[in-house]
Amino acid sequence: MPFLQHFCDVLYQSNFGTMLRESNNAFSVIESVHVLSITLLVGTIAVLDLRMLGLILRSVSVSRLARSVLPLSWSGFAVSVASGFLLFWAEAAKMYINPSFRAKLVLLVLAGFNALVFHTTIYRRAQEWGTLQVCPMRARVNAIASLTLWSGVIIAGRAIAYF
Amino acid sequence: MSVHGWFMALARSPLGHAMQTSRWGFAVVEMVHLLGLALLGGSVLIVDLRLLGVILKGESAVSINRDVSRLLLGSLTVMVLSGITLLSEEAGKCYYSPAFRCKMALLAAAVVFYFTLHRQALLRVQSGKLTLWPRVAAVVSLLLWLGVGIAGRAIGLL
Repeated sequence: MPFLQHFCDVLYQSNFGTMLRESNNAFSVIESVHVLSITLLVGTIAVLDLRMLGLILRSVSVSRLARSVLPLSWSGFAVSVASGFLLFWAEAAKMYINPSFRAKLVLLVLAGFNALVFHTTIYRRAQEWGTLQVCPMRARVNAIASLTLWSGVIIAGRAIAYF
Repeated sequence: MSVHGWFMALARSPLGHAMQTSRWGFAVVEMVHLLGLALLGGSVLIVDLRLLGVILKGESAVSINRDVSRLLLGSLTVMVLSGITLLSEEAGKCYYSPAFRCKMALLAAAVVFYFTLHRQALLRVQSGKLTLWPRVAAVVSLLLWLGVGIAGRAIGLL
């Protein structure tokens, strides 16, 4: 058995995993927290992306808006990862073979990579271009990739329940 | 026609029929509903945190709202339309669901609040009077929208 599959089985069969899976309310409550924290994460990232595309808040500079919304995005990210891990713990053995779960993880990695590129290259020079109403091409491409990838994460995440 | 009559008419409409017989219809529309939720949540947060004075204090609250309200109302429209489509699949069940009734009441309250007292609070901030009211309005607005989300999540559970 591959190591990852073994790891998923151990989580699935653990007392805590079984307790979560068989609980009446805990799983649903964690799921609700997961959905709301993703709203916080993706909603705030989308506002920054739409600003870079010049669709909203053109009068606010990109670096100023980023300083305002990114702490919210990071909070949403922290809560969604924590709640997501608990949900995974309860269903780990099923998740290992779930195609939507795999797709969601791949999309998450790509979205993370896209954010990394933004922060290490494009955003570094935001002082120079951040007040422009229409941002440079590289920033706009990054914003479109971000909107697409995060939408993909939500779509794949919702699809997990259907497989 | 009674409210129950409207719900039944929606369930028997061509839309309801299409949703009830389609294999992936519900899942796809649910995804659209969730994408709308992310945008709505983001725009509500930006406007209300500005009203609270937490973010973007240097910018005018009214001009931020003017800009972001387009996103807010646009995503709300997507959510209402996808929501009606989801409702058409199981209108009979939703009519009797306490979570659904609670969600509709909170949604009505949130929308009415947004167009009346919330708008007034934004103008009050604009005039520079530092009163408690805009902050209260921001907290009430955040709680109402959060309530809509939680009640909505509960529809599938109760």
